[in-house]
Amino acid sequence: MPIRFANVHKSFGAKEVLRGVSLTIEDGECFFIVGASGVGKSVLIKHLVGLLRPDAGDVFLDEEEVSRLSEHALRPIRKRCAMVFQSSTLFDSMTCAENVALPLRKHRGLGAADALVEARRRLAGVRMEGFADALPAALGDGLRKRVAIARALTLEPEVVLFDEPTTSLDPVSARRTDQLIARLCRDDGVTAVVVSHDLSSIFGIADRIAMLYKGGVRFLGTPEEFRACDDPVVRQFVRGEAEGPMEV
Amino acid sequence: MATAFPSPGSLAALRFQLRELVKLTRRTLEMAVAPRRGGRAARRAFAEQMHLVGNRSMPFMIVTMAFIGAIISFQTALQSQEILPDLSQVGATFTKLLVRDLAASVGALPLATRVGAGIAAELGSMVVTEQVDALRMNNADPVETLVLPRFVACVVMGTVVLVVGGFVAFGAGVLVGQVAFGIEARTFASTALLNGGDVALGLAKCATYGGAIALVSSERGLSAFGGSEGVGRATTEAVVGSCFTIIVLNVLLSTGGHFLLPAL
Repeated sequence: MPIRFANVHKSFGAKEVLRGVSLTIEDGECFFIVGASGVGKSVLIKHLVGLLRPDAGDVFLDEEEVSRLSEHALRPIRKRCAMVFQSSTLFDSMTCAENVALPLRKHRGLGAADALVEARRRLAGVRMEGFADALPAALGDGLRKRVAIARALTLEPEVVLFDEPTTSLDPVSARRTDQLIARLCRDDGVTAVVVSHDLSSIFGIADRIAMLYKGGVRFLGTPEEFRACDDPVVRQFVRGEAEGPMEV
Repeated sequence: MATAFPSPGSLAALRFQLRELVKLTRRTLEMAVAPRRGGRAARRAFAEQMHLVGNRSMPFMIVTMAFIGAIISFQTALQSQEILPDLSQVGATFTKLLVRDLAASVGALPLATRVGAGIAAELGSMVVTEQVDALRMNNADPVETLVLPRFVACVVMGTVVLVVGGFVAFGAGVLVGQVAFGIEARTFASTALLNGGDVALGLAKCATYGGAIALVSSERGLSAFGGSEGVGRATTEAVVGSCFTIIVLNVLLSTGGHFLLPAL
């Protein structure tokens, strides 16, 4: 299921975030989108599932143009492509099990009782079965993130979009999340598109990396090429240097 | 399909907002009349919104409408006194004004500040924390899940609150008439000028304003972007937009009512 962004432009008011981004992501790839904060990484991946519409340009999934689909027509796309949001976005009024059961009820039309049984099984898959009846507000960031991942994987999607999955996690939880993403790609053939600043994740599990800068793609290649790149902007990012040519 | 986000405050932004409001109104009304599978969560959401709009607004509206009723009664009697020595018709005029228009259109303004701001801030926060995106990803329609319960609650409980507010304003008016101008309560509390059309028009205004507050505020909340600053902007725009919409609707309903449900 190749994903293709073709010359995507997006502005919010006077702020031009994406100025012609073109990228192709292959099946089963663990593809990282990196760049400074506010450069438009999350904005870009939201175009793939129709959460945002491009002002110009097209987004293709399996050669189907998703940027022109209605909200109703996007439903099958959102069944095949799941998303783990930056802040987990669990619904506070529902228990963890009810959160995970939501896509089963809404996408698959399962009854409440059946969906909860399946949700508990899914939570066990991320070692969260003990928290099935807890409300999300009672959990820390790492645990909430695991529940959000369980919810995203509930429908066995072909593509998973991870928006900063390791942000606010402790190093151990972060590496476990990396392992989970790598396993999804390697064992299940899932395509993972990961937005991240985390250099350990980037160099640990990425197959390819795209670096966004000033609304366009500044770098595209493998982690080895990323590390060896002599572009001063890329080099500053890789080394995490405060001083340099990068404008934020 | 590909719509650029216009800059806030521009004419393009106003056109965009109006278009979005019309779309949201159409979708919400379609859903409101469509047969529904009322699950437990949906029933809980409706009950919660009814409580927020009705019960939680009641103390504020009672106090506000008592003051408004007292002011209107005082000024009506004072101005009448200048022209006519006989104040026996002041109560009947006050009651007619209150039922036909003021209980709904004056009462809806403080209701808009309380309920409209709450709706816009809540939905705006859900947008900027990506909860609305998460709903859409899980095949849960934000209009059905978030807007519809607020719309129904505002129409039903908004009407209840405004009617109760109207009675409170009436009571305050009677009290002021008696204390400040010596008009007998029985004389003041006259329904002699009132007819069924006045009541029907008053109730129609209450329900319409309640629905308008929910729709304008929901549209602004769902359009929020840019973090807490965006939520603040959406909340302000919701209150301003709701109040302006109430005034415009009042002109339209009063004009229509003048021909369809004549006052005399």
